[in-house]
Amino acid sequence: MAAPSFTLSSDPAAGGPLRLRLAGSVVLDDGAELWRSLRGAMRAATEVDLDLAAVDRLDGGAAALLAAIASEVTDRGGRMQFAGASPDVARLLDLYDCRRGGRCEKASPVQPGLLDDVGSFAHDAAATTKAILAFVGDLVTGVVQAIRRPRTVHFGELGSLIERAGADGLPIVVLINFLVGAILGLQGAIQLHRFGGDQFLANLVGLSIVRELGPLMTAILVTGRSGAAYAAELGTMTVNEEIDGLRTLGQDPQRFLVFPRVLALLVVLPVLTVVGDLVGSLGGLAIAMTYLDQPTVVYLQSLERAVHLDDVGTGLLKSVAFAVAIGLIACQRGLATRGGAAGVGRSTTSAVVVVLFALVGLDAVFTWIFSLLDW
Amino acid sequence: MGKVLQVRDVSVGYGEPLLEEISFDVQRGEVFAVLGGSGCGKSTLLRTLIGLQEPLAGRVHFTGIGPPARAMEPPSFGVLFQSSALFGSSTLLQNVLLPLQKWTDLPADAAAAVAMGRLRLVGLEPFAHYLPSEVSGGMRKRAGIARALALDAPILFFDEPSAGLDPVTSAELDELILTLAKGLMVTIVLVTHELPSILRIADQCIMLDRDARGIIARGSPKDLAERSTDARVRAFFRRQPLARSR
Repeated sequence: MAAPSFTLSSDPAAGGPLRLRLAGSVVLDDGAELWRSLRGAMRAATEVDLDLAAVDRLDGGAAALLAAIASEVTDRGGRMQFAGASPDVARLLDLYDCRRGGRCEKASPVQPGLLDDVGSFAHDAAATTKAILAFVGDLVTGVVQAIRRPRTVHFGELGSLIERAGADGLPIVVLINFLVGAILGLQGAIQLHRFGGDQFLANLVGLSIVRELGPLMTAILVTGRSGAAYAAELGTMTVNEEIDGLRTLGQDPQRFLVFPRVLALLVVLPVLTVVGDLVGSLGGLAIAMTYLDQPTVVYLQSLERAVHLDDVGTGLLKSVAFAVAIGLIACQRGLATRGGAAGVGRSTTSAVVVVLFALVGLDAVFTWIFSLLDW
Repeated sequence: MGKVLQVRDVSVGYGEPLLEEISFDVQRGEVFAVLGGSGCGKSTLLRTLIGLQEPLAGRVHFTGIGPPARAMEPPSFGVLFQSSALFGSSTLLQNVLLPLQKWTDLPADAAAAVAMGRLRLVGLEPFAHYLPSEVSGGMRKRAGIARALALDAPILFFDEPSAGLDPVTSAELDELILTLAKGLMVTIVLVTHELPSILRIADQCIMLDRDARGIIARGSPKDLAERSTDARVRAFFRRQPLARSR
């Protein structure tokens, strides 16, 4: 490391204040050395005179350090004086001297205590509940008004929303559902083969995919793609005051932004679910053909016997509920965004997490109800 | 004094030049304003000066300090962006600490003391632990200035510092810029079309014009306001619409 461009010396004097002398160029590049050496030389001294007559250059960073050290001395009940400074040096020190305005602030952030945390959690929970209730209330009002006056709903971007959520998401839905069907098929085939139950593979894969995994996996994929996109898009619009702009134009954000998105998902998710069911079952067929050497027709006949239209219906019913949950939660989280870019990130994360919880919860409720009804 | 920035035959733009072969010098310690109406290329010129955009032609030379935006060395200048460009998830103090932590070997408490000093200079010490979203637009601008000052850069670039501020806050910001220029002896290049600010703080200025694709006037703002014979300059300083021939 290069030697600092300043020197610090002390004048030994019997009694009286500690006299220190700073000379040369005192700049931020040597700030670490200045901080260490000056504080080291002063130790616990309470009376310090710092002679700056030989300082030929002082920059803002170094002036801030000198001012902070002087403030430390003042805080412990002592005093530190700068002497002999040239007009330029004195002007800089004056600019940074926090003692001008009374006590200097310290850089330690206020750490909230346990009670603060509990209080702010309770406050946030109440505020979030209130916001969700207000959102649902607005939505109900909006639905009534939209039914009475359908032209107030912004259908203009419905087509592109359907394309983005549906057609653009089709490849990933096909791939993931095929793989899930294949994985399920392989695990099932290994176990069934041990007991000579190869012919039940289609039952296992078909029913699992059509009733549970197809709708759920498809909804999870749509959450990751479209739900996150809705939350981020509406969140960015909120922090950019575009939502406020809409309101001042007399447009209801619910009807202008939320309805078209929920509607797009209501159209898209059941269709994607049917596609997911089909390719998931084909994943099982691929395993039946390759692992069990089962003829295609045998697998398909087993599938036809095992899976009925009401099984597909239960999956589609779930997909409709999933679509509403994804659309509403993602849009609500987006519209509730506060803060800048970080707020948008928080909203998007929160939207995905809450939707995933909701999907699994809804799935469990539906499965329980269907089992009670013997569907 | 001496030149701190030399711009020679620089053309800037995005494919098509917005400004062609412009040249000017900035002297050490002065407040230099780049003026002009909307769309004349002021901000593009600023992006070129600070190295965020390559000039289409010509060269930008900083005297006595390194070339702009070399990734391995601390930046030779500070920049205040129009939107302040503070990190929203960090407090004002953390924003100012960022360059100090990256480019100096200061211990944590010394770096915090320097950052606090910068915030004190711009009058934001009591708000050091606030997030940018929790303070006003004028405060965000001042925090942006504190961050631009963090490393004691000898030259500062300000893009529309008064944009979106009320007249009182704008005047306070002008006062701060004057304090920085005269108290810290830094050179300030600012891009603006705020007339009161220009007349109050700028020592020298150039005026750009979209149709001319270049500089149409240069000198002290007072001289241009009072003595220019160019209709476009007169219209600018008198805040009058310019009668354009069809």
